[in-house]
Amino acid sequence: MSAGATERLAIRLENLSKRLGWTWALREIELEVERGSTVVLIGPNGAGKTTLLRLVATLLRPTSGTGEVLGFPLQGGADAIRRRVGLLSARGHLYGDLSALENLRFAAWMAGVGVDEAQLRAALTEVGLDHVSEQRAREFSSGMQKRLAFATLLMRPLDLVLLDEPYASLDSDGIRMVDDFVDGWKSRGGTVLLATHRRGLAVRKADRVTVLQAGRLLRFCTPEELEPADLDPQLVAPAR
Amino acid sequence: MKSSLALRTWAILWKDLLIELRTKQSFSAMVFFAALVLFLFGFAIGPDAATLSRLGGGLLWIAIAFTGMLSLGRTFQSEEVAGGLDGLRMYPGEIRAIYLGKLLTNFSMLVVLEVVLVPVAAVLLQLEPWDRFPLFVGITLLGTFGFSVVGTFYASLTQHLRARELMLPLLLFPALVPVFLGAVNGTTLALAGDPLDRIGGWIRLLIAFDIIFFVVCVWIFPLVLEE
Repeated sequence: MSAGATERLAIRLENLSKRLGWTWALREIELEVERGSTVVLIGPNGAGKTTLLRLVATLLRPTSGTGEVLGFPLQGGADAIRRRVGLLSARGHLYGDLSALENLRFAAWMAGVGVDEAQLRAALTEVGLDHVSEQRAREFSSGMQKRLAFATLLMRPLDLVLLDEPYASLDSDGIRMVDDFVDGWKSRGGTVLLATHRRGLAVRKADRVTVLQAGRLLRFCTPEELEPADLDPQLVAPAR
Repeated sequence: MKSSLALRTWAILWKDLLIELRTKQSFSAMVFFAALVLFLFGFAIGPDAATLSRLGGGLLWIAIAFTGMLSLGRTFQSEEVAGGLDGLRMYPGEIRAIYLGKLLTNFSMLVVLEVVLVPVAAVLLQLEPWDRFPLFVGITLLGTFGFSVVGTFYASLTQHLRARELMLPLLLFPALVPVFLGAVNGTTLALAGDPLDRIGGWIRLLIAFDIIFFVVCVWIFPLVLEE
């Protein structure tokens, strides 16, 4: 990849395929995501959205094909990529028996981020959880847990965040919180790759939309270029 | 600040022990189970002091081994509840910290269990570890460390298996034969006396096992965790 493309692109995937067991979870994916943009992956359950995010996060290795994330190769660049990329899974990776503050402290230690108590509390304030900092995460509602999970990302100097089903089980306030996070992240120049099956919600925030179905990339376009069928909530993944 | 191995190891140890301290999920069951094993054996063997002295080391290690399985089986439970190991793997830096943190958690839990268990065993089995107490403690710690080193590694290997409660002991106990040989014989000699001075050989076996398996497990752990 040329130096210019490395500067311009946060993610570049070339002919990327992934087989899980006997099933091809992804086939021949070609994708370029520009730095500072918000790209939404839409597709039904089983389309390969989470697999694609996990590949970009270096949690899975491609079966074939190549790719670069923030200029680092997927094969061999895992540590460099993980320093700059945050993944928010659907369950948020929180420990229910730790308080909100303790969850943040653990995340900061693990990420090697030197933050003091005041900075941890500031991160909680930013997501509106400063008043429950000593409360255990298991006592939080789904929306509050999601906020706490976002706070673990806010503490780190990341360039790219991968959000897996961030709208799942959220009410309207929670949905607004996710939208605000995406807006805020974008205003800081960060890149967002967001996977969801709630197409109507996600495309509002997208610069580009990627439609995945049965492990194949059907379309990579602007939200305006989406076809009605892409937004059909009844779309289901056919057997591979 | 660099995400050093020591800091990440400490973070996992701190998190796991804090969760255990609050939930007491593993430790309560471990203490109860270990006390039950000792009580049943003590009751079955009866009050014959000579027999108890001869079998005491073995009985103590049976209790530690079976109880330790409870701890090992829960090694990655807090990660499962939180959504799997991906969350830990996504942090940058040395992935071996996950193994070292979990190893220290298991080792700490077993040592605390032994602090409770040894006085109980001393009463129920009429053991007298106090005469050669430093030697007894040293052998127990060496055996416990070897058990934790290999056990934590096998717990990571079997974490995704559906029948892991069955597979973990099946895979683990054959690998632990040298530890059990060294620990049981060493403990028995420390308890019952060692007129022929044979204990040194068992201690050397435990030290060699601990060093070799610690190096190997730390070295190859990333291969287990990464896809």
